[in-house]
Amino acid sequence: MRRGGAWVLLLGLLGVACLVSLAVGPGGLPSRDVLQFRLLRLALGILAGGALSLVGASLQGLLRNPLVDPFTLGVSSGAAFGASVVIALGAATSVVLPVAGFLGALVTILAVYTLARVKGRVTVTGLVLAGVIMSFLFSSLVMLVMVLARQPLGRAVYLLMGYLGVAFTRGSVLLFAGSSIVTLAGCGVLMAYARDLDIMSSSEATAQSLGVDTGRVTKVVFVVSSVIVGLVVSFTGAISFVGLVVPHLVRLTFGPAHRRILPGSFLLGAALLLLADTAARNLVPGGLPLSVVTALIGVPFFVYLLRRKL
Amino acid sequence: MNHRDTKRKGSGENREVGINRQERQETPGESKRSSNHGPAIRFAGVSFGYTEQRLFNEFSLDIAQGEFLGVIGPNGAGKSTLLNLAAGLLRPQSGSVSVLGMDLAGTSRREVARKVAVVPQESFFAFDYPVEDVVMMGRNPYLGRLQTPGRADYDRVNEALEFVDAAVLRHKSINRISAGEKQRVVLARALAQEPTILLLDEATSHLDLAHQRSILGILERLNRQGKTIVLLAHDLNLAALACSHVLLLSGGCQVACDVPDRVITKELVKSAYGVEPIVVRHPETGRPQIMMPGGPNAQVSITNDQ
Repeated sequence: MRRGGAWVLLLGLLGVACLVSLAVGPGGLPSRDVLQFRLLRLALGILAGGALSLVGASLQGLLRNPLVDPFTLGVSSGAAFGASVVIALGAATSVVLPVAGFLGALVTILAVYTLARVKGRVTVTGLVLAGVIMSFLFSSLVMLVMVLARQPLGRAVYLLMGYLGVAFTRGSVLLFAGSSIVTLAGCGVLMAYARDLDIMSSSEATAQSLGVDTGRVTKVVFVVSSVIVGLVVSFTGAISFVGLVVPHLVRLTFGPAHRRILPGSFLLGAALLLLADTAARNLVPGGLPLSVVTALIGVPFFVYLLRRKL
Repeated sequence: MNHRDTKRKGSGENREVGINRQERQETPGESKRSSNHGPAIRFAGVSFGYTEQRLFNEFSLDIAQGEFLGVIGPNGAGKSTLLNLAAGLLRPQSGSVSVLGMDLAGTSRREVARKVAVVPQESFFAFDYPVEDVVMMGRNPYLGRLQTPGRADYDRVNEALEFVDAAVLRHKSINRISAGEKQRVVLARALAQEPTILLLDEATSHLDLAHQRSILGILERLNRQGKTIVLLAHDLNLAALACSHVLLLSGGCQVACDVPDRVITKELVKSAYGVEPIVVRHPETGRPQIMMPGGPNAQVSITNDQ
């Protein structure tokens, strides 16, 4: 069956991406230390690529809009802001930085949720508007903080553009392990809402008449998605395009049903991010920011998608 | 005959529509008997407005089980609002709406969805689901969160597709079929819910003649099977042709609720719509049908929207 074959290919691609990520790099065969470093980076890449793509797919379904990505709701900007504050204060250790980033994300989630609430109800339109506002606000604040603290803006670039080469210490590895568990649990929750997302992609009223508790689904998907994004972004910064493009690629192969595109996006997103990261590190001496590579792949693909639809 | 239904004194007295009106005498306090015999839908003293100004004021109405009710009225009369209240998609500011004895305010969406299905005028699908996936969404009220559809669900979906004559479309994408075909698919999705009550919001307005006739036929067959059907119609003739009773709504009030013969009259239509029609008899069924008065100088008085 075409679909069964496609899943095998997807898993195969992920396997290849993992091998490539571990094996390719400056110098010959990697030593044990280097291998350990690369394994952590592998884990981070799988988690980031997978979770961001799965969240992107969920939000595209919830917001009924194929142009949405995991950062539409402002969470990544908030995380970047939290991180920038501790950098400016000179307190950025390997544990404090991600924690500060996650706190920034939580503040944004609360702000967006409160702003979007009208008469006790949270609507999809409200979330998008509030998210865009918060996104602009916090992105500007990141720049402001950096300038005020006279820090090189280059550091902010990595916060805002994504980076898998995190220098792990003992403490931050534990933090990362805990975050991974929570992130994977969150992904599980989103997959349990697959049918609701399918039905809600019609309209609010239709979904309600089919027995979906739209208010609850909106809140749960929003909060879980935002927490996942907050956790990932607090380690890697905002890696663009993965969460936007991967769901579309998966939809082309598997159709729009969320019970397939959520896990499919996770697998493809993980694979693509690992490959993009390998390319980013090795194509240019000194490396490229990850988002540059994902954008270089993502933009032409998106143009192709657009032309196909029009 | 001009009935203007204002607030009735006494809690048990409700305007009842349907067969056997004379035989069933409701006494106060007995209004919620076993749901086998109660009304399909009951509006009890419902007040509702989108803004400060109320559209419905202490509105009461009973729709009997097995009824095929056509709801007509000018723009802004409250037809769509009435339908949304009946489906539990809107909550009244005061009063209650009950379906088969269940007060909608205290019932979960899932439970309501097993009894009441809605067919909207137009449907939007953000992604290209295949037709059979769309109809399967109608099984949602019967599926647990982590449950996948079983043999029984697939059977219901197939039956629904056969009933609306859309089985051949099952693998096509919902966004690539014609408007008429899409409407039949949406109707199939409603049927997959195995509802007792079907609410349709002008389900045929933008369709061609063939599709209008075909959908009307499907609804008539469903009604003969015992389903209660409420059809909102802009087209008075459609309502008069197919429905057993017609409710004429204007400004949130019942102007009349009776068999088509007594509602589709020159006087009532003029009072509600501001245009005096020519009323004729359908040569095959004897139902009243209206024709627009001719000529650019025909008298029209536009009634104010709420």
